[in-house]
Amino acid sequence: MSKLGQVVEAVENYDKFVLDQVKRARTDEKFGRELLGRWNDIKAKIPVTRTPTGLPLPRLALPEIDEPGEIARYFFGEGLPGEFPYLSAAYREMYLEPVREIESFEKNAGTIDKKIPQAEEPTRLFSGLMLAEDTNERFHYLTRHQRTHRLSTAFDGPTLYGIDSDADGVFGKIGEGGVAIDTVEDMMQLYDGFDLGSPNFSASMTISGPAPIIMAMYIAAAKRRFGPKVVPKLRGTIQADIFKEVQAQNETIFPIEPSLRFLTDMVEFTTHEMPRWYPISISGYHIGEAGSTPVQQAAYTLSNGFAYVEMFAGLGIPVDQFGPRLSFFLDCGLDAEYIALARVSRRIWAIGMRDVFGAGPKAQLYKLHTQTSGRSLIAAEFKNNLTRTAAELVLAYVNATNSCHSNSADEPFTTPSEEWIRLAAHGQAILLEESGIFKHTMNMLSGSPGMKAVERAVEAAILDEFREIERLGGVLAAVEERYQRSQIQNASHRYEQQIYDGTRPIIGLNRYRDGADEIPDVKLARTPRSKQQLQVDRLAKFKKKNAEKAKRALDKLAGAVERGENCFPTLLEAAEVCSLGQITGRLQEVVGRFRPMV
Amino acid sequence: MASPIRILTAVPICDGHDSAINTINLEFIRHGIEVIYLGYHRSVTDIVRAAIQEDVRAIGISSYNGGHIEFFAEVVNLLRKKGADDIKVFGGGGGTITHDDAAIMKRKGVEEVFFAGTSLEEMVKFVHEHYGKPRAKRTRPKSADQELAHKLTEIEDSYAAGRKRPTPNAQRRTSKSKKRHQTSNFKHQTSRVIGFTGPGGAGKTTLIDELVLRFLNRNPKGKIAILSHDPSVVGEGALLGDRATMINSQDDRVFMRSMATRGQAGGLSPATHDCLALLAQLNFDNVIIETVGTGQEAMPFQKNGIVDLTVLVMNPDYGSRLQLQKIVMLDLADIVVVNKSDLQRARTAHTEIEQRLEQNRPVRRSFGEGGRKQQLIDTVAKRHRDPGVDRLFELISSGRDGALRRPAAAARRPYQQKRRKK
Repeated sequence: MSKLGQVVEAVENYDKFVLDQVKRARTDEKFGRELLGRWNDIKAKIPVTRTPTGLPLPRLALPEIDEPGEIARYFFGEGLPGEFPYLSAAYREMYLEPVREIESFEKNAGTIDKKIPQAEEPTRLFSGLMLAEDTNERFHYLTRHQRTHRLSTAFDGPTLYGIDSDADGVFGKIGEGGVAIDTVEDMMQLYDGFDLGSPNFSASMTISGPAPIIMAMYIAAAKRRFGPKVVPKLRGTIQADIFKEVQAQNETIFPIEPSLRFLTDMVEFTTHEMPRWYPISISGYHIGEAGSTPVQQAAYTLSNGFAYVEMFAGLGIPVDQFGPRLSFFLDCGLDAEYIALARVSRRIWAIGMRDVFGAGPKAQLYKLHTQTSGRSLIAAEFKNNLTRTAAELVLAYVNATNSCHSNSADEPFTTPSEEWIRLAAHGQAILLEESGIFKHTMNMLSGSPGMKAVERAVEAAILDEFREIERLGGVLAAVEERYQRSQIQNASHRYEQQIYDGTRPIIGLNRYRDGADEIPDVKLARTPRSKQQLQVDRLAKFKKKNAEKAKRALDKLAGAVERGENCFPTLLEAAEVCSLGQITGRLQEVVGRFRPMV
Repeated sequence: MASPIRILTAVPICDGHDSAINTINLEFIRHGIEVIYLGYHRSVTDIVRAAIQEDVRAIGISSYNGGHIEFFAEVVNLLRKKGADDIKVFGGGGGTITHDDAAIMKRKGVEEVFFAGTSLEEMVKFVHEHYGKPRAKRTRPKSADQELAHKLTEIEDSYAAGRKRPTPNAQRRTSKSKKRHQTSNFKHQTSRVIGFTGPGGAGKTTLIDELVLRFLNRNPKGKIAILSHDPSVVGEGALLGDRATMINSQDDRVFMRSMATRGQAGGLSPATHDCLALLAQLNFDNVIIETVGTGQEAMPFQKNGIVDLTVLVMNPDYGSRLQLQKIVMLDLADIVVVNKSDLQRARTAHTEIEQRLEQNRPVRRSFGEGGRKQQLIDTVAKRHRDPGVDRLFELISSGRDGALRRPAAAARRPYQQKRRKK
C-alpha cells in the first residue's frame, strides 16, 4: 500500500476515533465531566468585542451544545480554530480586527501571507509585465504604502518554458503575460531597491518547470547584491509544482522523473540553507482552472502534496523540517463544494501528516493561499464579474484561507488594468474591513448544518479519488497513466456542455442575456517591440561576455547530473554565468525533454 | 468520393492552453475533417514544416498566451517564403485577441480569427466552406519536402476517388523529376524500410521517436521518412496525433506524413503501398512505417513486400499466455520488442514471448531459413537514453549489413503462403 492508501485508512480511522470519543463521552462519566469542564472553561475565557453599533459579540463563536457527546464531536471532529484537526482554521484568530495593535503575525503565520489591516491593497498582488525594470517599477508602485513588501512575480511564456528570449519564434511573447527573465542580471534588476534579506520582504515566484534554475538565479542575484550571508535570510515562495503541470498546466520541460529529481535537489538545499523559504507551493488552482471539479481539485492537490512528502522524506529530509515549509494554493469558484473544500482539505492534510508521516504540529498545517476563479469570469457583460468575484471571496474567507487574491473583472480579455485591479483589491477590503462578516468573530459562518453536509460529502468524494489513485499504483503511476489529466479534461468538457445546454446558468451568457457581449474597449498592456528587442540585445551581450565561463559551468552541471549527485550547488554556479535557456538546453541533453501527453 | 479535408492544428510556443483546441479537434473530426494535431508549445518552424509535409489545406492555431500578432504573422510569412502560401492560416484565442488585433492579423494574411463566443458549429462550417473545395492548380513545388508532399496527396486523393493509380496528370508531372515515381516497382528502392506494428498503447510512437533521436545524433547528415497511421472510417474524420508525441521527429531531416486508414482494415491505408513505394526510392536512409494499433490477426506488411525489417512492439499486458499463440506477427516479425518493461508483468512477458518465439525456429529451419533467430528486446521507451532502446537502435542500424539485412523477403514468402493456406 502506498502512503496515499495509508492516508485513506488514517482518515477513516480518525473518523471512527471521533465516533468512539462521542460514545465514550456519553458512557464514561469521568471523561464526560472533563470535556464539559474544558468546554465551559473555554467559553468563559472568550473575549468580547463590540461592533460599531455597540453590540457585544464573542471573538470566537462556538456551537450551543452542553452535552458531552456533542462536545467531543466538536473537539475531535472539528477542533477549535488553530487546533487539530484544524477543520475551522489553521490559526486561532484569522481576520479579526486587532484588539490593540496588530499582533505578531510572525508567530502565527510564518511567511505565508497575512492580512495587514492598514494596507490598502491585498498583500500579494500577482504582477509581472514587460522587462525586469518595468515589473520592478510596478512592484515599487504596489508596495508604496506598505510596511511589508510581499511581491508576487508572474513570468512571461519563454521564461515559464525555460527558454531564452532569443529562441526561435518567441519574440512576440517576450514580456507578455509576465516579466521576461533570461539571466541573473535580469533577476537583479527585477528586485532592485528591495532589501531581500529583510524580515519584511518576501518574494513569491509563480513558476514550476524551470523552478530550480530560477531559484538558483534568485539566490545568485541576492548574493551579488547583499553578499553570501544573505542566503539563510531569504524569504519567499517558489511554486515548483511538477505534478500539477503534468496534470493540468502543461508547463513541464523535463520528463517527470528528472523534473522531480531537480525539485528534490532544490528542496534539500533550501531546507538546509534557507530555512525561511517555501520551496514548493502545491497548487490546485491550475487544476481547477483547467476545468476539474472542485473535488478533483482538492483530491489531486492533496494527493500530490502527500506524494511530495513521501519523496522528500524518502531522501531522509526530516518531515518536521520541510513540512512547515509546504504551502497550498487553491481555486475558489461558485460551486457549492467551495463552501467547505479548503476546510476538508485542511483536516485531511493534518490527519495524514500526523498519522502517516509522523509530523509534528507545525508540519500538520495546510497553509493556504486562495485565488478566486478566473474560469468563472467571462467576457460577455463583464461587469458581472465583480459580483462573481465577491461571492467567491466570501467563500474563500468562510474557509479561513490564509491569504487571498481577488481577480480583476477585466481578466477574461486582458492583463488586468489598474482600474479593475483596484476594484478587485477593494473588494477584499470591503469584505474584511468595512463589513462585519469576518472582523468581529472567528467562526462567524462556520458549522451550519448545510456546511456540515457539504463537508461530509466532499470528504467522502476526496477519499474515493484517493482510493482510485492508490489502485493505479500511487500518484506518480496515475500521472503517467494520464489518470488525473483525463479526469480533468472530462470534467472540463462536461462543464462546457452544461453551459451550452443551459443546465449551468451563466448570467449574461446563457441566461438574462442583454446582447452586450462585445469585448469592451480597453487599452491592452502590450510589450513594445523596442523593449522586446532590448531584451534580446541584453541577452546577446550577456552570453558573449560569459561564453567561456558558461561552457565550463554547464559541463560541471552536466557532470553532476550524470553522476546522480545533488546538482543544486552546480546549478547555483551555472546561474551566475549562464542564461536560463542555456541551462535548460544542457539539462535536456542529459535527461531528455518532456514528451507531452495527448 | 473526395478526400477528407486535412488541416493541422497547434498551440504556439510557450503556450500550454490546450483545452480549447482539444475540444475543437474533436468537433472537426466528428464532422469529417482529418486533423493533424501538433500539440502545444510549438514553434513557427515546427508548425510550417509539419503543414508542408502533411500538405494540409490550412493551419488552425489556438493562442491564449499573448504575442499572437507576431506569431500568426511569422507563420504566414514562413509559409510564403517556403512557397506554401496555398496553406491558409486561421485561429483564435478566446478573449485574448481583440478586434483590433484581429484586424491587424488579417491584414498580415491570416484568413480568419474566431472570438470568444464563436460556436463550434460556426468553426466547422468555416472550415468546410473555405477548405472543402478542390484545390486550385498547384504551383511548382519549391522544395523537395513540398514536392514529395504534393505527390503523396495525389496518391491519397486518387485512392479516395476510387482510382488505383495516380491520374495520368500526376504521372506526367512526377516524371519530370529525376527520382522517378513508379508505383509497385521496387527495383529502385534505395532506402531501408522498417515497419513497426503492434497493439494500441504499446508505445510504438514513443519508441520510434526515441530511435529517430538516436539516428539524428549518430548520422549528422542522415535523413528519415516516417509514414504514420491512425484509424478512420471511410468518409469520416480522424485525429492524427502522433506528431504531438514525436518531439524529436520534428526536424528538417525528418519527413513525416500522417495517414488515416480511411476505412481499410489491417493497420494501413489503401494508399500506403504506393506512398511507401515512392518514399523508398527517394534516398532516405530509413523509411519508417508505423501501423495503427493492430489486432492479433494483423500482418500489415506481408502484402507489399517493401518492408525490409519488421518490428512488433508489444505491451506486457497482453492477457493470458494463450493469447500469444494467436498473434500472427509473432511468427513474422524480425524483432519483437516488449516495451514498458518497467511494468511488474514485464519479466513474465519476456519469458513467455521468448518461449513463443522458440516455437517458430524448427518450422523456419524446415523452410530453409537456417534457424535465423528472431530478436527479443525489452525497452522502456519513455525513459531518456534507455539502454534497451539503445540496443534496439544498434540492432536496427547494424542490420543494414549484418544478420538482419533484408533477407528474407524472398525466403519468407513461400513459408507465409503455405501458412496462409493452412
